[in-house]
Amino acid sequence: MTILGETALWIALPVAFWGTAVSFAGGRTGRSELVLSGERTAYALTFLLLVASLGIVAAFLGDRYDYWYVANYSNRELDTYFKVAGLWAGQRGSLVFWTLLLSVFTTIAVYQNRARNREFMPYVAGTLLAILAFLLVVLLFAGVNPFERLGFTPANGRGLNPQLQNYWMTIHPPTLYLGFTAFAVPFAFAVSALLTNRLDSRWIAVTRRWILLSWFFLTMGIIFGMRWAYEELGWGGYWFWDPVENASLLPWLTATAFLHSIQIQQNRGMLKVWNMALVVGTFLLTIFATFLTRSGLIESVHSFAENLKIAYIFLGFMGGTAAFCAVLVVHRLPSLRSENQIQSFLSRESAFLFNNLMLVGIAFAVMWGTLFPLITEGLLGQKINVGPPFYNRVNLPMGLILLALMGIGPVIAWRRASRRNLRKNFVLPCGMAAATLAGLWLAGVRHGMALTTFVLAAFVMTTVVVEFWKGTKARARIAGEGYLVALRGLVRRNQRRWGGYVVHAGVVILFTGLAGSAFDVVQVHEMLPGESATIRSAFGHEYDLTYESLSHSRPRASDDVRENDWRWTALLTVRQGGEQVAVMRPERRFYPVMEEASTEVGIRSTVLEDLYVIPREVDLESGTERATFEFKVLPLVPWIWSGGVIVAVGTLVGLWPAAGAQSAARTSGGRRPASRLAASDAAGRAA
Amino acid sequence: MALFGGVLLAAGIMLYLLEPVLSGRSAPLYRGGDEHDESAARRRVALAALRDLEYDRATGKVDGEDYERLRTELSREALVQLEPEPTQGDSAVASASRALEDEIATIRRALREGLQCVGCRRLNDFGAKYCGGCGERLRTARATRSKSRNGERS
Repeated sequence: MTILGETALWIALPVAFWGTAVSFAGGRTGRSELVLSGERTAYALTFLLLVASLGIVAAFLGDRYDYWYVANYSNRELDTYFKVAGLWAGQRGSLVFWTLLLSVFTTIAVYQNRARNREFMPYVAGTLLAILAFLLVVLLFAGVNPFERLGFTPANGRGLNPQLQNYWMTIHPPTLYLGFTAFAVPFAFAVSALLTNRLDSRWIAVTRRWILLSWFFLTMGIIFGMRWAYEELGWGGYWFWDPVENASLLPWLTATAFLHSIQIQQNRGMLKVWNMALVVGTFLLTIFATFLTRSGLIESVHSFAENLKIAYIFLGFMGGTAAFCAVLVVHRLPSLRSENQIQSFLSRESAFLFNNLMLVGIAFAVMWGTLFPLITEGLLGQKINVGPPFYNRVNLPMGLILLALMGIGPVIAWRRASRRNLRKNFVLPCGMAAATLAGLWLAGVRHGMALTTFVLAAFVMTTVVVEFWKGTKARARIAGEGYLVALRGLVRRNQRRWGGYVVHAGVVILFTGLAGSAFDVVQVHEMLPGESATIRSAFGHEYDLTYESLSHSRPRASDDVRENDWRWTALLTVRQGGEQVAVMRPERRFYPVMEEASTEVGIRSTVLEDLYVIPREVDLESGTERATFEFKVLPLVPWIWSGGVIVAVGTLVGLWPAAGAQSAARTSGGRRPASRLAASDAAGRAA
Repeated sequence: MALFGGVLLAAGIMLYLLEPVLSGRSAPLYRGGDEHDESAARRRVALAALRDLEYDRATGKVDGEDYERLRTELSREALVQLEPEPTQGDSAVASASRALEDEIATIRRALREGLQCVGCRRLNDFGAKYCGGCGERLRTARATRSKSRNGERS
């Protein structure tokens, strides 16, 4: 199976080039048999890449250590579950996996459009196949072939990086990859629209779901990554502005901006060039993310060994794509002219525009910080890293403005809002914000940024709740329905709008959770078995932690490579008000073969806060079993994960197939639209 | 064995890809019914905005002059997009437009029934239970509907 997989990978390369060539040629010359052959290439490539991926999985499951990739990312002791995940655990396999996902999305896009949007499809297929061909060139010629042999067979492999042996890590990379690769489809449609000069609203209408799908996976991938860092890295945080974390955030930021700005194009025929720039920019940033990880140019917990060959190939591809798209946009500028102008500063367009500026501003700041080590190395000869203080100082104010805009945008009218209208709609949200400020101030909260976040969160949440309440009430009254039926009908009628509000609610909860970090409580205790320590949270909850006992296995590295790890586990009991509420077993693991260590923290979650126990050190030599622990109480961290779930639900509402416009049309008969609108309008005026 | 499998795989793929070129089998390049009608799409967007405006009016988000101005602008845009009449337009978009129009008409009818006093014909603010002119209790759509249902039963 493995040899067949390697053969399939080699066959895939000329196939991808064939598909690219015949698709573009078919579109250009109007030869439909070439177009069909190009579309078949997408199916064939998916099949070949599936065979190649199965070949890698078979090598992992069969402990084929004569393959460099398997020998470096697996060993005999590894669970089957992690052996399968070995496909995306290392650079080589993950590139194959990435290519496979892109081919699957290409296949879906081609199949979905086999009988519609036909004038776009030759170029859509050609663009996607060209990206696949590029990835296959990287795989086969940049020294990252996953089927490379060692020339000898080691008795055992090095094993999987212990930090990757975690549930979240098995789903975090694939989810992010799904987000990155799904965005290639809107990009391909944008390129096709530019090539065919079909620059009306169609390409946006066709790709809206793809954009949302990509955004959904990117969001979930980032949140899963945060959860992995929180559970596995053992420092009590979830985001460290690591270059590769940043690389996943960058396309998310521009994709979010794009999701908002396409609404302006659809509603007002504006920002067409800007939208093109955003779709191309977002696609390039998805490639930039993999470039950053795989080139190893910037040090990160995620990055692989430095590989300049890959770096140059990626840079060439990104540069070529950017130049090609820029030329296309300039060439089509007459068709991309704005049809309207912003009428007033007080309008939804304006709010969306500010939202775009903030998102792109944050993206620039993150990009600058991420590339700063490379820039300084080029200019000064040494890498200088910027840390979290830089990102926090620059991005927090912009993030707070974005939060405020989330409350303003949905309530303010399109085109032009009157001051009276604003007063009417903002009285209640502003009142709630003021009440929150007063309440928190009286409760003793003085942290400026956190206070601002909570106040803005109250403001935005009120606008969302009021929107739902008023909408449901109006629909219940108009349609004569009960409130629950009216709410369902309201959402089904405009899933994008109401799904978007749910996403906003999720983001507000997530932001609130992030702001909770201002009130973290941290204590370090050196304890003997039987000793206790007390920690009090920002909410006033008191936890008594008792170090009960210690267990440990194989405290020294063995010469036998199969004895690949040893660990010590502490047993702690947690009491509140004298009553035992939890038992924790934080653990430290050591992997002598890989010369690595990992920390399994103890976490006790409640609705308001997490109690987080980090095992630091233990004294096994003296026989006292004295251990050092770091105890943390982290307020509102569970809100981050709940907010993520709500964001997912909201996005799924937006993605869900709309309540058939067709079914509504079936009941409306075949009357002429003009007469009915005019009649309705006249009746409205008469009333 | 592996070599044989590889050759078979390559031959199969090659045959699959070249078959359309050799046999002349083709994929559709353009489909008449699939032609995108930008006017219909614009009209649908304008109608959706009009529908949202009616809801905004019903919820009290937009009132008075703002409502009248926006309604005039959006109705004009929706009507402008009718010319020329889309004869071969995207049927899904066209039927979506019809559905939107029905919805707009329903909201407007309900608003009239709920807001206009049957006694003195005064148009009251949304949410009012009694007429600001004569003090008559205003009927809601639900009340109107249940009344008419009762009438049908009897």
